[in-house]
Amino acid sequence: MTKKLLNLLVVISMLAIAAPVAVAAPPVQDGGQDYVVVKDDWLSKLSDKYLGNLLAYPAIMELTNQKAAQDSSYATITNPDLIEVGWKIYIPGATEAQTFMAAYSPMAPAEGPQGETSIVILVPEDPTGFNGLVTDTGYEQALMELVLLGLTDIDPQGEFYLELAAEMPTVENGGVVVDEDAWTMDVTWKMRDDVVWADGEPLTADDVIFTWNAIADPEGGIWAEGLDYTDSIEKVDDYTFVVHYNTVYPNYRIQFGGENFAVWPEHYCDASQGFVAWDCNRQPLSSGPYILEEWATGDYLSFVRNPAYFEAGKPYIDGVVVRVVPEQSVSKTMMVEGDADLHIWPSESVANDYLVAPNVDLSVSPSDRWVMRLFPNLAARGSVDPVENPHPILSDVQVRQAIRMGIDVDTIVDEIFLGYSKPVWTEFFRPPYICDITKPEYDPAAAAALLEEAGWIDQDGDGTRECHGCKTGAEEGYVMSMELTIYAEYGEELELAQQLVAEMLGDIGINLELSMFEGTILWADYESGGIEQQGDFDLDMWDDGYPGIDPTDHIWYYYYSEAAEPDWGWNVGRWINEDADALIDETYYLDEEYRQEMFCELAALLDEELPQILLFSAFDGAGYSARLQGVQATVNDMVTWNVADWKIVQ
Amino acid sequence: MGRYIARRLLQAIPMLFMISVVLFALVNIAPGGPLSGHGRSRRIRPEKAEILKRQFGLDKPLPIQYVIWLVGNDWMRVDADGDGVTESYGERRGILRGDFGFSYRNRQPVLEEIADRLPNTIYLMGVTLIVVGIIAIPLGAISAVRQYSVFDIVVTTLSFMGQAIPEFWLGLILILIFYAWLNNPFTGAPLLPSGGMQTFGMGFAIWDRIQHLILPVTMGMVGWVAWYSRFLRSGMLDVLHQDYVRTARAKGLSEHLVVYRHALKNAVIPLVTIFALDLPSIFAGSLYVELLFSWPGMGRLYYQAATGRDYPMLMAILIIGAGFMITANLLADIAYAYLDPRIRYD
Amino acid sequence: MTKDQVEAGQKEQNSVSVRSEEMHAPEGMLGMVWRRFRLHPGAVAGSIVLGMLVLSIILVTFSPYDPEISDIGSRLQPPSWEHPFGTDPLGRDVLTRVLYGGRISLAVGLMVVAITLVIGVPVGAVAGYFGGWVDNVLMRITDAALSLPSLLVLILLSAILREVELPFVERNNVVTIAVVIGLLSWMTVARLVRAAFLAIRELDFITAAHCVGVSNSRIMVRHILPNVVGPIIVESTLEVGYAIMEESGLSFLGFGIQPPTPSWGNLLSNAQEHMTKHPWLAIFPGLMIFLSIISINYIGDGVRDAFDPYKVLKQVGEV
Repeated sequence: MTKKLLNLLVVISMLAIAAPVAVAAPPVQDGGQDYVVVKDDWLSKLSDKYLGNLLAYPAIMELTNQKAAQDSSYATITNPDLIEVGWKIYIPGATEAQTFMAAYSPMAPAEGPQGETSIVILVPEDPTGFNGLVTDTGYEQALMELVLLGLTDIDPQGEFYLELAAEMPTVENGGVVVDEDAWTMDVTWKMRDDVVWADGEPLTADDVIFTWNAIADPEGGIWAEGLDYTDSIEKVDDYTFVVHYNTVYPNYRIQFGGENFAVWPEHYCDASQGFVAWDCNRQPLSSGPYILEEWATGDYLSFVRNPAYFEAGKPYIDGVVVRVVPEQSVSKTMMVEGDADLHIWPSESVANDYLVAPNVDLSVSPSDRWVMRLFPNLAARGSVDPVENPHPILSDVQVRQAIRMGIDVDTIVDEIFLGYSKPVWTEFFRPPYICDITKPEYDPAAAAALLEEAGWIDQDGDGTRECHGCKTGAEEGYVMSMELTIYAEYGEELELAQQLVAEMLGDIGINLELSMFEGTILWADYESGGIEQQGDFDLDMWDDGYPGIDPTDHIWYYYYSEAAEPDWGWNVGRWINEDADALIDETYYLDEEYRQEMFCELAALLDEELPQILLFSAFDGAGYSARLQGVQATVNDMVTWNVADWKIVQ
Repeated sequence: MGRYIARRLLQAIPMLFMISVVLFALVNIAPGGPLSGHGRSRRIRPEKAEILKRQFGLDKPLPIQYVIWLVGNDWMRVDADGDGVTESYGERRGILRGDFGFSYRNRQPVLEEIADRLPNTIYLMGVTLIVVGIIAIPLGAISAVRQYSVFDIVVTTLSFMGQAIPEFWLGLILILIFYAWLNNPFTGAPLLPSGGMQTFGMGFAIWDRIQHLILPVTMGMVGWVAWYSRFLRSGMLDVLHQDYVRTARAKGLSEHLVVYRHALKNAVIPLVTIFALDLPSIFAGSLYVELLFSWPGMGRLYYQAATGRDYPMLMAILIIGAGFMITANLLADIAYAYLDPRIRYD
Repeated sequence: MTKDQVEAGQKEQNSVSVRSEEMHAPEGMLGMVWRRFRLHPGAVAGSIVLGMLVLSIILVTFSPYDPEISDIGSRLQPPSWEHPFGTDPLGRDVLTRVLYGGRISLAVGLMVVAITLVIGVPVGAVAGYFGGWVDNVLMRITDAALSLPSLLVLILLSAILREVELPFVERNNVVTIAVVIGLLSWMTVARLVRAAFLAIRELDFITAAHCVGVSNSRIMVRHILPNVVGPIIVESTLEVGYAIMEESGLSFLGFGIQPPTPSWGNLLSNAQEHMTKHPWLAIFPGLMIFLSIISINYIGDGVRDAFDPYKVLKQVGEV
């Protein structure tokens, strides 16, 4: 009651401000009537005069247009600000107008002017373009899925599916030929021959080769997975090509697809501009379900369906609008109010709000990928040499084990991440490589005992331990105090988790100072002052995980000794272990069982040595409006991976 | 007067130069940079980083980078393909010849990006400033004329309150009330839109535009109205006690004429100066408003560049902003001299 | 506090008699200022509110809760007797955190003022007193600093300074934020002081001081500066409010003081996602900012009036 009254008051006062002349009770017509426009008429004025409401002008406009469709004596109004003298328009009766306005909502984009369906996707920042290999915030990839195709992709269950490829090359079907002696391999791809670009040109093997060469170009190219192992690509015919590798490369199945890679049109993109900078990154020619129609930078991107899309009858939805809304709290409100249809990667607390909102549903990826982890720096701060300058605290494996035992992951997961996260303690926790590693126990007493054993004892009773015969080479009395760093972009949940971890470790006598940096600082290259690459940290915490189903490259980057060189990888804790190197080398095989065996041996080694302390999986999901059908979040791709299959149900 | 303006313009040149040196050093001194991996994969290969560094000219010492930024590099040999060999003349023309370079973020010309956003900001800030003037001047004038009346007390109190509300906080509240809680009783849709410049796909419609302006303008104007009306009130009080106003009263002129013809005109003069000083915000925009109401303006462009270490974009916006400030300062002084005949410049 | 209240009450009772007193009161300058200040109802109310705020900020040391230690069992509880302002997502008492946050926010405000004065007063004084090329150089620097688009540079500086290792200062702590804000706000004071010095140095008593051989620095500090104290105090008061506001804005942008150290700014900006469901997280820090700034501005207004003899004469003459 009060709310209604308030509504009324606000509207009245708005009207009063907007049109002081119209304060007197307007004559309300009951039946509809025709009207001929005279000088100085405008729609909202008429609407105010006859319907008693300035804002009801869409009723006049739309109902006139409906009449005009049957009777050409009525004018067609395309622009509500422009009506001309002499036009015949239809002014509905009050009830008719009210019924119309109740159904009509200019802000709900479900029905466009021509009765077309469209949806609104929210992104927090203006994307840099459509090229997921050049910029990798995730939103570029989400847009790429709308307009471009790759050869293969991975579905939420972790299975490969084909886009441009006609079949998956395997050893069995002769698509993959391994030269055991030279330890190289050739892969032959067969492509669909019924896919065309939006301008009608066929999409052929030439486009794939063109794209790969542009990526591999030393001037304007960029790094992509498989680049280091690919010698050359050779065209067989318009729809067949062979890739020659310099080694056996197990991840070949997703090299020309997946979330980052798309095939670009040779006849449209200008190779001389370079892959990272060419104009078609921002004005792509579509092969996918949608065509970019308009891009108002910083505001929105609009897409219309691609009539030339190869899957018959798809996409089902006619248009997509991608709106840039920087503030998450605003995005949430828009979703709840029904003004938007998809919110990619809401925070855990927003996801929880979507669960209870009647018109918003939440899609959560069926498997996990992102694992929040602690990187202990085994080298002294500011050094990248763990042998010459070991870290005074963290270079002792017992300390790392105590840290793991001292963190109550279950509490963090349940209370801060609201159950959207699950405890994870090994890299090999998801298909296809699952290794049987026992879940570490939360045991602060045992952690404290371990620290005592390692020579870290609180003798002065200030609550923080000091080195008394510790094994790291730290001087006697060195205080067990360190910095715990996180990155700023994750949001409040990670900040809270950081505070909890510091508190839990504080309880066992490890003092942590907290700090937070932007990703551009934390992950910058060595010379730009990147905190990790320079080794300028003690413990830092962030989440990562490999896309798709092949962890090989991911493992190399994190645990191989060469990856500890500044800028060569992300072994930023500088863990140098020959056994691990040997095991990782052995995983570059095609034999799945052998790979599994090697990975699990490595898993056991990592569990013992703790070069990283894995904590829990991070949430990957999307909120979507209840009228949208077919949305499925996935860690293997962006949530827009199957946008062509989405439908609107009323 | 002409000589005065000329002198001020001449002084502006070394000042801009000084500012540009300081800003350039500041922008480039921070750790992190355009070569850090973007987003989730966070990796950039060292070979690639080297190439990019040479292509962007980041391998050169800072003073050289500054000179290139200022006057371009088309007079020197550069390493365009990043292979370590300088083979051709550069293509940069430097800001002195109107070339602000390319954004590191999306490789678009910086000026084009700014040209995309600037009209949106001018539109929003222009409307805001006009509304501020329309509201603040009568409020300030009337409350001065009726000093200590209920009206005056209410206005003064409100203006103190208006200055004490954090701007972003006000915006959040406005969205909650007018978007989330209140509905249009006729359509059932939210009373006012949550952001953006217009309803998508609607074409240009005046009513729609106004609806989209109400909340951002309200958020942006509150602090200003509070400050302007207080300023005008105290200016007006001063003027009302001046001798010439007494004389005017003594002559028997009507109170209305005294107040609005003589007093207000003189009280507005200092306000014009303040106003001129606030004009540069038409260029820089209000970041908080743009963030909350998803307004695609300059403030957000700058914020994005600052968090992403997009040096060319940062420098362009800062230096153009400083140019605007200096011009506005000059305008303020000229306006003051023009409006107040007591001021003479040699 | 009670003293203030009594005085406020008195003020209202004898508002008529005070005025006549005003006309003849040969007393010390500070006494006069104080008496005039008491005439300003807003300033008195502001002082009371601010006084209470400061008192509770000091007394929060005796709070049964720790501002940084979590209590997972009592997360996000609405206000109750135990937790008058409710609890936050880690179960910490919001009242305690808000009051500790007040320490930080006010500390930022005071530090900013200190920086403003340390830079602004000498620059203005030297420029105004010596004039000539010294004045020219210093004022050009001041102009240049004023020509910076302040919010933009504020963002840039806080983004940079929080990541650079500075001597004496830890990365990204309260001092850094204060330095950043201070570096961008000393110019008003400098101009103010310069203008006053320019005017006063021409007066007879300064010339007289010169004649008896008083040194320049002594003239500046002992003879001119005291005459500028009024405007400086006004400006400094307002600066505290300004700094609190800037810090909260920076927090909203993610460049402010970092948790777990609470400040009004980061408490408020962290609350934005909880606004609908847990409004107490946002209401109380917001209220604190609001109350403190409004009090500070009223006090500033009162101080200005008190130091402005013209204004008082006007009031007396008018009624």
